[in-house]
Amino acid sequence: MPSDPPGSLRDEPKRNGRNVLDSINTSNSLAGSSKLQFIQNAIMTPFSHRKNESSSIISGLAPVIMTPRMMKAASTVSSKQPRERIVNSSMSRSRMDFATLGRAPLRLGLGTRRVTSRDLEIVEATEQLLHVEVPEPDGVASNVSLLRGFNATIPSAEQSKSRRRQMRSVDAPHIGLKKLGMNARGLLADEDDHEGQSVTSEDDVVMVPRSDATLRKGKRRGRESLSATKMLGKDELTRQRKEILRDKENINIKRSLVNNEIMEITHKIEALDDIRTKLEKDLIKLQEDELELDDELQGVKERLEFEQSGPARMSQSFQILHSSRRRKGPAFLPSEHDELPPGVAFMTLDSHTAPISALDFSEPYGTLVSASVEDSQPIVWDLLSGTESGRLRGHIGTVKCIQVEDTVCVTGSEDCSIRLWDLRLVDAEGSDGWGDEGEIVSLSDVAEEDSSEEGTRPNGIRNGMGKEQKEDAACLRVLEGHTKTVTTLFFEDNCLVTGASDKTLRQWDLTTGQCVMTMDILWAIAHPTSSTLANNLFAGAAASVGTFAFPMPPRADGSWDMYEDYVGGVQFWGYGLVSGSGDGAVRMWDMRTGQAHRTLAGHSAPVTCLQFDEVHIASGSLDKTIQIWDVRTGGVFETLKYDHPVTALQFDTRKVIAATGENGVKIYNRTSMQHSTLLTNGHTSPVERLRYMDRYLVTGGRDSTVKVWSL
Amino acid sequence: MSTELPYAADAEVSLSYDELEVLRLQYEREQLQAHVTVQTKFNFAWGLVKSPLREHQVEGVRLLQDLYRSEPTRRRECLYYLALGHYKMGNFEEAKQFNGLLMEKEPTNLQALSLAQLIEKGVTREGYIGMALVGGAAALGTIVLAGLIRRATRK
Repeated sequence: MPSDPPGSLRDEPKRNGRNVLDSINTSNSLAGSSKLQFIQNAIMTPFSHRKNESSSIISGLAPVIMTPRMMKAASTVSSKQPRERIVNSSMSRSRMDFATLGRAPLRLGLGTRRVTSRDLEIVEATEQLLHVEVPEPDGVASNVSLLRGFNATIPSAEQSKSRRRQMRSVDAPHIGLKKLGMNARGLLADEDDHEGQSVTSEDDVVMVPRSDATLRKGKRRGRESLSATKMLGKDELTRQRKEILRDKENINIKRSLVNNEIMEITHKIEALDDIRTKLEKDLIKLQEDELELDDELQGVKERLEFEQSGPARMSQSFQILHSSRRRKGPAFLPSEHDELPPGVAFMTLDSHTAPISALDFSEPYGTLVSASVEDSQPIVWDLLSGTESGRLRGHIGTVKCIQVEDTVCVTGSEDCSIRLWDLRLVDAEGSDGWGDEGEIVSLSDVAEEDSSEEGTRPNGIRNGMGKEQKEDAACLRVLEGHTKTVTTLFFEDNCLVTGASDKTLRQWDLTTGQCVMTMDILWAIAHPTSSTLANNLFAGAAASVGTFAFPMPPRADGSWDMYEDYVGGVQFWGYGLVSGSGDGAVRMWDMRTGQAHRTLAGHSAPVTCLQFDEVHIASGSLDKTIQIWDVRTGGVFETLKYDHPVTALQFDTRKVIAATGENGVKIYNRTSMQHSTLLTNGHTSPVERLRYMDRYLVTGGRDSTVKVWSL
Repeated sequence: MSTELPYAADAEVSLSYDELEVLRLQYEREQLQAHVTVQTKFNFAWGLVKSPLREHQVEGVRLLQDLYRSEPTRRRECLYYLALGHYKMGNFEEAKQFNGLLMEKEPTNLQALSLAQLIEKGVTREGYIGMALVGGAAALGTIVLAGLIRRATRK
């Protein structure tokens, strides 16, 4: 390269000058660098004309710097292989080293570039940013580019509009006058809004009919503005047309931008809502934990007192304490009636005229459904106000079992049918059934359901009133299949299992209303599995073919009935099903096979109620006991003895609440192993049904009342 | 989408003071409302990058970096603007990196290709100018030295 002809020396400053000019052209606004170049220029020019020894140094350097081949090579290399250049920028540096070398004095000297902390900040961020994932643009990002958005929204986007306005403001004073005149007559049109849309809008405005006095003026003006428009010429008009179209396009872009922002905000709100619900759940969880701890503390305290009085039973208690702590309790919902004294019935619902046969509620202060022995129409209650909010009409026999989940209610009746209700559709009118028909608004979706189920009357006839039709408003399905009284049921999600006096259990799919499986208890008795000890079953169990009837032991008030409900209780979890039946056995079934794989024998009278959790099964029986079984071993974990037959129970890890044929509700504290009885403001006849949630207990008694307790 | 990027020349056309002011006001107003839309932020950033003042450019690039961090879907576009911003500031090394990343994603992007060439040119020019400066200094030194020597030999 030093061997290059010295002739090129001459060209060098010129080229340099051109180069600088170029750079000025391309970066004329770049103050810093242009200043630099100016200085550079000034320094360079004297040397180019002088012919002394010093210029030979430049001539030595110049060819190296200015070889066009080299420049080209450098730039093509860089543009061809961007990938490698990023990956190993050190290599690129070595390739460009003469440039870096040359740039070094610029960096060092002259002080043209004031490096601020901001500068450093953005340069330092580069490394980090380059390592961030760059995803494919999607959504609006792929439709409207930032630049288009920019062009659509910068102020100069409005320029053409104002320019057009100015073009037409040849008659601007006239418009002003016109405006004034029209304003005076209250005729001010929204002229400005029209202007952007059509050039002829002004003339349209002029054509607005007006009173005699202004008519002439208006005409004249019309002509004037018309002529003014004409003067714009074809080019101008096409240009304006284009501009207007572009403006409209801009509007579209702006619109999609705004829509996008709205969408994004919606997403953000949703995300925040999610977080809030999660936090609320956490809060509830904390309250649950607190309640649980309170309960445990209470139990331990009681236990302490108890043990101090009689330290003899240490060993047993220890084991239980240990296991109770290990057990995971059910959801202990935060209580809403903290202010109420515990153990008091604070509400009495007394619309029923006969002993309560079944009840369930959706949640504390939610909806209660209760049925009595002599009434085929369960009453729906609003627990917040304690008032009747309607009745479930449809069954033609006593309703023996009810389960409520949220707004879904399933009832089983003596008429062998099971009905599925939507409690939201329950007629708000009184019990006479002659309410205003217009109130049943959401018929349409129900109508489809029950017409498919029952194949009954079309919608229109509903207006024809009558009890018969009204009853079905809330009834979504009728499940038929059992041949005797449906005595118990349990459902979760869409799976329902019912037990009936026909000695079968049926599994139903609530979405289709089909019976999925039938489990025959008699067959299970006849074909005992290995673990079954049929001998332990009480006498008469084997002879239970035919109608089942068992004379129940007298209650506290001396009354007694013939007990005819063959299946006292069912519950399932996953594929595991547990049933308690009239032969005194608690059976565990596999719902996949429909086979009873284990029978727990221990009761000497029919099982009337049953519940299980992960660890225990609790079953109540007419033999005046509650047995708590260990699910894994099948052995009896605990036996609670009462004076009268047990008809209902519910338990959690800390307590067992039972209706035992007495006026008071029995509570057994599993931590302290203490019994207590709820009597304050309680039932006047034996309690037969109960259901609790958290600290909210609802009981139904033979005195035909339903009482709500705070625990 | 790739075609909707401005060429580097566009970055050299600065907005008028008023226009930039409008963009700034819009940005600040939205900032007060605690929700700055992407477009507003970009508008202001791009307006700043287009400005001839270096402080403005720095601020603009900073805003673009913010956008790049917070809006993954806009990252690819931002790559280009970041490259352009750095190029305009004279941070050729950074400009090259950003532009290179973009070209890795979109090898056929015309704007990116042209920017790459511009960056190379900028680097070469700077190098040349620097060399010339050194050369000039050396020349001056030689003259002085030669003068001194001549004076010394005359005596």
